[in-house]
Amino acid sequence: MLKDITFGQYIERHSPIHKMDPRAKLMLLILMIVFLFLSHGFAGLSLFVILLFAGIALSKIPLKMFLRNLKAIWIILVFTAVINLFYGSGGVLLVSFWKIHIYSEGVKRAVFMALRIMLLIMLSSLLTYTTTPNDLTDGIESLLSPLRFVGLKNAVHTLAMMMTIALRFIPTLVEETEKIMNAQKARGADLEDGKLLDRIRALIPILIPLLISSIRRAYELAEAMECRCYNGGEGRVRMKRLHYGKVDLFAAITCVFVCVGIILANYYINF
Amino acid sequence: MDNIIEIQNIGFEYDDGERKKTVLENLSLNIERGSFTVILGHNGSGKSTLAKLMNGLNKPNSGKVLVDGMDTADTETEIEIKRRVGMVFQNPDNQLVASIVEEDVAFGPENLGLSPEESRARVDEALKAVGMYEFRQKSPHHLSGGQKQRIAIAGVIAMKPECIVLDEPTAMLDPKGRAEILKTILKLNREHHITIVLITHFMEEAEQADRVLVLHKGAILADAAPKTVFNQVDMLKQVGLDVPQTTELLFQLRSGGADISTDVLSVEDTAETIARCFFLEEN
Amino acid sequence: MAKIIEVENLTYAYGDGSAFVHDAISDLSFSIEKGEILGIIGHTGSGKSTLVQQLNGLLKPTSGRVLFDGKDIWENPKEIRKVRFQIGLVFQYPEYQLFEETVFADIAFGPKNMGLSGDELTERVKEICSVIGIPESYFETSPFDLSGGEKRRVAIAGVMAMRPQVLILDEPIAGLDPKGRRDVVNMVAEYRKAYDATVLIISHNMEDMAMLADKLLVLNDGKLLMYDETRNVFSKPEVLREAGLNVPIVTRVFEELKAKGYDVPTDIFTVDEAVTYLSNRKAGGSRA
Repeated sequence: MLKDITFGQYIERHSPIHKMDPRAKLMLLILMIVFLFLSHGFAGLSLFVILLFAGIALSKIPLKMFLRNLKAIWIILVFTAVINLFYGSGGVLLVSFWKIHIYSEGVKRAVFMALRIMLLIMLSSLLTYTTTPNDLTDGIESLLSPLRFVGLKNAVHTLAMMMTIALRFIPTLVEETEKIMNAQKARGADLEDGKLLDRIRALIPILIPLLISSIRRAYELAEAMECRCYNGGEGRVRMKRLHYGKVDLFAAITCVFVCVGIILANYYINF
Repeated sequence: MDNIIEIQNIGFEYDDGERKKTVLENLSLNIERGSFTVILGHNGSGKSTLAKLMNGLNKPNSGKVLVDGMDTADTETEIEIKRRVGMVFQNPDNQLVASIVEEDVAFGPENLGLSPEESRARVDEALKAVGMYEFRQKSPHHLSGGQKQRIAIAGVIAMKPECIVLDEPTAMLDPKGRAEILKTILKLNREHHITIVLITHFMEEAEQADRVLVLHKGAILADAAPKTVFNQVDMLKQVGLDVPQTTELLFQLRSGGADISTDVLSVEDTAETIARCFFLEEN
Repeated sequence: MAKIIEVENLTYAYGDGSAFVHDAISDLSFSIEKGEILGIIGHTGSGKSTLVQQLNGLLKPTSGRVLFDGKDIWENPKEIRKVRFQIGLVFQYPEYQLFEETVFADIAFGPKNMGLSGDELTERVKEICSVIGIPESYFETSPFDLSGGEKRRVAIAGVMAMRPQVLILDEPIAGLDPKGRRDVVNMVAEYRKAYDATVLIISHNMEDMAMLADKLLVLNDGKLLMYDETRNVFSKPEVLREAGLNVPIVTRVFEELKAKGYDVPTDIFTVDEAVTYLSNRKAGGSRA
């Protein structure tokens, strides 16, 4: 539920993957995605499959949670596969009717593309299932911090502050929306039926009070932040420091092996 | 006398674009270090404006506000003044910044540029002072109103302030939450020696204060010890204040001709007063 | 007297696991007589809000029934909106639901949803405002320019304009100053008198309850703890205290007097009763 965005998709477990530094997880995920797209063939992908299943097993999160995320994008998967089915023209001609010709190369390509997207989604899930949005925010802020040397210091801090406040206030606003909806329903507002235009019009009694209250909240929050010596992030030192640990090192080495494996597979195994 | 806050002949106008409205006029007031002052006043009496003047969130149009001798109009000492005079507001939801309790409490220390170790120590200490240490990893939206307000107070004490100004901190809470906050405030004043300025429209909360001020239409109508102020029930009711039932009872008995004082608030003291007036002569 | 609302074995469970902030209800049965003022009390999280949202069909019971005038309100789920016109619910801090450009338009929102229009709609708004004392000079002002107490009254008028037979108010006077509170209490009394309505009030304030309510319904952790006349409920302070509630302050003063050894009754619940009792006693002069 949206109300519990503080924990987002996070699933609490005690596992080495959960213990990893969010920065390490983010960087390694990006590295893996790059190599996923550099990989030419099934040999390379099989390395990712091994890596992914090792990760899932270590995370102690049931496989079906990962498959659930795939269900949400099945249309994209089917679409990608079908488009690619007609694309290649190498190999054996398998099907031919009217103007449509499907070659074995096309089938291979379709499976490859679909598998690649599945791996992408499942690897990303491994990050979001094992990292709280708060840790992710801290990780992103920390990773972007080198930008301050090119004059973007405020941008990085502002972005992080925005994410923090969003995480803090989304549950509050969701609750408030529910309250206002109920209050207007108690006055007979009809939010479920009617034509599209009527339904859009029915949103006004909800959106206006919500907007007014959000502005009031923003104003009060700004004052409260000022009272707590907030100065646009000037001279701010975070209490929580991120630390790389042994797990991060192991994970990094494993991923480097996978990368080397991909390069070798791309050169020597043509499958 | 050692004053933490000195307000000298200030005036404050509120300008909403169309018309100017005078909120405070020629008001002077000192807050003694270590004291517990309650400011009573109904909605629109200027009490919130006065609160925000005490740490420089509002700047007076005329006159001066000094915090430990520093002028709030001076931009150089702005941050230091806000550190020394912390503020807690009415709506607990709108003053918490982070979605993890301890990270929220750390917000002030982080802004002050303290080392992570120092921030950590202060956060733990502040959470223990308000009795919320076990909740440090929780998300604020899973807490009750009273608990959220205690987190807000912890966020202020983590800056090690000299004084805390609380602007109607209990207005949105249920009776249990109100009791929690009052207990916390008393503890901070008595044990941690933090100067407290509590703004409220509940007379009950004024009972334990050293000094009670009644604000009406931007002026100070009364400034005395709680007992003295509570004896002026007519005036309190006239300025639209909430009179507790104990006071109301004593007041009506007095209006009915009984020779009884109205300067007590607690149930025990009221019973004692009634017993003395009504039952002793029966013996 | 006739029963207007009957609640049978009402149970509501929040199934989404976020029960932390919500309050469930289990197996409640009671009935409300037409025309009475019922107070609903209980600590935060005891189920008060969940209960009243089921009475007007905003929440559908997990099991059990709510009968209005002898008919199950969920008999025809498509008609549930009509139930809300009969059983009006005013939420806590209702001024936050104001949204129209003028006071008139905001009060007219409910009646308009009932299908009223034109002169009929205008008449309806005018009538309710004259009954509860909102002057017509307010009609064209923006609700956002009003003071806090006035906003509250306009918001409550918006529910009253649907002319519900049962009016439920959740903490209607919370956060108001004494004048604002008096105004709201008066408008509810005027409404009740004019339309012979049944009124349900949720409040934390026992002193107000002692003054206003004929009967009290006490909830504790989603269960019915007591349901009786106000005097009888306040005569059981130990039960109330166990549920995290208390008797009115004036009653506590008399309990204290009794503890000190004076022979006084403890069934005094309002300031007026206390003043009358003490004055009579003084006039009588003797210690019983």
